[in-house]
Amino acid sequence: MNRTPKGQLSKSDVPSATDPEILQRLACGELSALGELYDQYNGIVRRFIARATADAEDVDDLVHLTFLAAAKSAKKYDGRASCRPWLMGIAVQLLRRRRRGLGRFLGLLSALIGSRSGNVDPRAALHARNDVKRALLQLSEPKRVTFLMAELEGLSCDEIAGALGIPIGTVWTRLHAARRELRQLLEGDREP
Amino acid sequence: MTAPRCPRVFEAEAMRDGRLTGAERAAFERHTTQCADCAHEVGALDELAQRVLEMPDCALDELHVRRERTRVLAAFDESLVLPRQRPGRGWWLAFPGVVAALATALFVYWRARPVSQVERTPNVVVHPESSAAWSKRTEGNREIVTLEQGALWIHVEHAANPRRLIVVLPDGELEDTGTTFTVSVERGHTQRVAVRDGTVVLRIQGQPSVGLGPGETWAPSVTPAAAIPAITSAATEHPSSEPMPTEAPSAVPVRAPAASAPVTAAGASGEFRLAMSAFRAGDNVRAAAAFATFLAKYTSDERAQDAAYLRLIALQRAGHESEMKQAAREYLRLFPAGFRRTEVQRLTVP
Repeated sequence: MNRTPKGQLSKSDVPSATDPEILQRLACGELSALGELYDQYNGIVRRFIARATADAEDVDDLVHLTFLAAAKSAKKYDGRASCRPWLMGIAVQLLRRRRRGLGRFLGLLSALIGSRSGNVDPRAALHARNDVKRALLQLSEPKRVTFLMAELEGLSCDEIAGALGIPIGTVWTRLHAARRELRQLLEGDREP
Repeated sequence: MTAPRCPRVFEAEAMRDGRLTGAERAAFERHTTQCADCAHEVGALDELAQRVLEMPDCALDELHVRRERTRVLAAFDESLVLPRQRPGRGWWLAFPGVVAALATALFVYWRARPVSQVERTPNVVVHPESSAAWSKRTEGNREIVTLEQGALWIHVEHAANPRRLIVVLPDGELEDTGTTFTVSVERGHTQRVAVRDGTVVLRIQGQPSVGLGPGETWAPSVTPAAAIPAITSAATEHPSSEPMPTEAPSAVPVRAPAASAPVTAAGASGEFRLAMSAFRAGDNVRAAAAFATFLAKYTSDERAQDAAYLRLIALQRAGHESEMKQAAREYLRLFPAGFRRTEVQRLTVP
């Protein structure tokens, strides 16, 4: 049905809530809580996904799925003051799932038509708009998302480790490797 | 031959990642003031981060954000009202067969596909009025029709068209989720939207989104203060077979006919439709009464919670404060765990 009155209560009626409060209300199925979460984090999640994925067409869908998954998992939220790392972790899981699904499909297609097989998404090059983006897309996905979480989103290594469910040592290793590869790629671009 | 680097260069990255703290960090910071290698390394790491931060963002217009927000809320709302049925275990037995059939079909299609074949045109039929100024383009999985002036009759064959159709209007946009409708624009403002089959969602800047169903027509309200756009059942005003609006679109809000439209109330669905029709037309008193009747007769219907909520909203809009508060308490009594309860609780506070 058409829920026309959605949003009839203006934001001014609603006191600004903390992330744990919003997620608690969301866990109880409160629709307006999802709206608040979306308003607060849509831009951040979108920016992160847009930089982490090669396919601009996927961004809307991945943002959509991230917030839906967050709504469904709100009961499991651990109550930290900021849910940003948690949302990023959900987005990374969805990115990984999307890449695996696409990789399998492309592999199957390549095998069927007898062409050269590979796991590289051919759309990547089409959407690389500048050298930094192009260099980022040449990193493996684990290194790329770890680097973006640290340098773009400003998350601490502890927060990244928690969001991705990996040891902090792995975060440091990925960051080091990502920086080294990026610097090589970008310095290579500068050479005539 | 490159000159040997300072053995403490690695600490630049350690400091950046928060691995150096306290005295170690202070010592390294002092060191960088004297060591060119380490100072260069710290600068290089800063520059790398800066280049990532300066990557251009894809600019998003407000309507796009609103559309995506509505999509997320609607999907979540739907999942609350209609919990998804999990496929049974038997589905997995059929999975290999489905994959094999799909792969075969893809292979046959790929082989048979002519090299010069262009992308398949989706089945969107647009009949423009002779003076209409419009254009059509494809963006990803969206067909975008831009209407600047005049009227369009649009039919979308959804079975053949997995893409979404967006009609961009000078003052908003219209998302097709149905099949056949007309839309007209005059002097930079949307004048009329009439839906023959299916549904559309109309988003006019500064106004709440409006869903229009079969036979419904939207026209702009005269005063900006009118919060609810005028919607009426087109069944009484325009014959459903009308392919294009032949008369000049009227800017006068179409209100009364919908409320008095002879919608047949056949069972729960009919009564709910009747109430919604009055609600959308802005006849809040009639809508509140119709929702109350629905609620009394069909308490266990899945739309009962919506009816209870819409009833109190209708009463609020009608200015019946005390009745609204009573309706709010009724909602909380009937649906103590309802997903609108927080909003409703707020309404009961004196």
